[in-house]
Amino acid sequence: MRKAFSETLTRLAAADPRIAFVTGDLGFQVFDEFENSFPGRYINAGVAEAQMIYTAAGMASEGWKTVAYSIASFATARPFEQIRYCVAYPNLPVILVGAGRGYLYSTSGVSHHAADDLALMSALPNMTVVAPGDPCEIEQLLPQLFALNGPAYCTVGRFGEPSYLAEEPAVLGKARLLRKGEKVAIIGTGEIANEILKAYDVLTAEGITPFVYQMHTVKPLDTATLGELSQKVETLIVVEEHVPYGGMWSAVADWGVREGLPCRLLRLGPPDSFALGNLKQNELRKRWKFDATAIADACRTAWRR
Amino acid sequence: MYATALDERARTIRATTIQMAHDGREGHLNGALSCVELLLCLFDGWLRIPREQEKAPERDRFIFSKGHACASLYAVLAERGYFPVSWLDRYATDDSPLPSHPCIHALPLLDCSAGSLGHGLGMATGKAYGLRLDGNSSRTVALISDGECNEGSTWESATFAASHKLDNLLLIVDNNGVQSVGRSDDLMGGTSLEEKFTSFGWAARTVEGNTTAAVKMALSEVPFVKGKPSVIVAKTTAGAGVSFMQDQVLWHYRVPSDDDLQRALQELGATPLHKRSNP
Repeated sequence: MRKAFSETLTRLAAADPRIAFVTGDLGFQVFDEFENSFPGRYINAGVAEAQMIYTAAGMASEGWKTVAYSIASFATARPFEQIRYCVAYPNLPVILVGAGRGYLYSTSGVSHHAADDLALMSALPNMTVVAPGDPCEIEQLLPQLFALNGPAYCTVGRFGEPSYLAEEPAVLGKARLLRKGEKVAIIGTGEIANEILKAYDVLTAEGITPFVYQMHTVKPLDTATLGELSQKVETLIVVEEHVPYGGMWSAVADWGVREGLPCRLLRLGPPDSFALGNLKQNELRKRWKFDATAIADACRTAWRR
Repeated sequence: MYATALDERARTIRATTIQMAHDGREGHLNGALSCVELLLCLFDGWLRIPREQEKAPERDRFIFSKGHACASLYAVLAERGYFPVSWLDRYATDDSPLPSHPCIHALPLLDCSAGSLGHGLGMATGKAYGLRLDGNSSRTVALISDGECNEGSTWESATFAASHKLDNLLLIVDNNGVQSVGRSDDLMGGTSLEEKFTSFGWAARTVEGNTTAAVKMALSEVPFVKGKPSVIVAKTTAGAGVSFMQDQVLWHYRVPSDDDLQRALQELGATPLHKRSNP
């Protein structure tokens, strides 16, 4: 996904001379082509996330369309007030890009975990929050984020995730149907979609066919699709690699309470806890029961209810 | 010492500022009064910000970062005709264009909102970088408080400005020595701001910030060194111009009473530009 991001950004910047890129000293060799192609429009602010945001915001206030890039935890929690005060409040066209959200850098420790980024960014007025799940999705969504001409947070996964097939293209603000189904729907955001699809493959072999939706846009939440879906299924399962407060689960549950949800709502995801032990990402997902096996188990139980 | 027309105007701005603080029930007079000469000198033709065209691309950019101290900024902007003087009586009222901390949504002619300290220099660096990349020769000026030099982000920005050789950037530090609940010298270990900025790669100059001639002289020489950002460390007095307010931490917050107001106006010997008819 990171390669797709870099290539898409470079392509968009070639077409739009107002696009500039600011990094917080991260992305070794990832943005070489951008840097070489657009000198002056590639800026390394150094290990200075506040300054990264200032540079992006100050330039945006002068008519530039800027991208600020760092590891997700350092892109969001570290300069949160700069984002709030200098980007969201003045409503400036800055796309904040957080690499490796969730527990992608799980073995690096809590410093590198970003399981609260969606909550932090969703709390900000004017902010659009997007977590693509595969290279194609980021390629499709990035130009739509530039077209917003306002503040956005977008996550980028690692190198080399598989691209998945989907029933429809990725449209900003709209839930994306990955697999048609019945009775049960599994919805996720970000690259947990890949884990959900693994579970889906296991389930279909058993004759269990749930809907799978990728909610790449966390904010604004596509409540229209959720509303229709909740009429069609008995159980909605939200899978998230995010703390239980303020992420996709929170958003869906909040909407469900307001609307009077006609179906059951389940959550699979980490508890309200720091992820200690420096486990590998798949081990962590297993321990906290939101890996493919746990997703398949939960779906199977819901299907047979 | 003879008083120039600018000094006369400074007294009127101070009287207006104290009147606004009184009418609007907002304190922060220390910082509002300490930067009066700085604002007057900047807006006395140095800053190229044409009235009615405050968003013209070729204008200079000005960021007033010490947002809490904005009463004197508003007074100077009104005096210079950027908005009607009658607006001043809406200072710190509901839905006002002149809230107690400047907001670009309330007063769009501003380049930046302010209130959270330590952001002004950073935003200025982004603007200065973006303008230069555009081939735009406009200058960007940030006026910050010495208290904002407590903020780590200020030094991230200082590093960035020097590394990118932003000589289209001018920083003015209103070094009035008094913060919210303490003195800046105590909080910064008595260290020199000029030395700090110099060691960060800036061209720095310390001037008497409540002396218009000294401020004008320094401004006339900006940029001090080609290829370096410039900083004027303006040695000022908190609550300057009113004997019973000067250099006291108390007047960071205190709202002037009726009696305080009358004493201050009498001592200044100046009439406010405007006062609330029905405070």
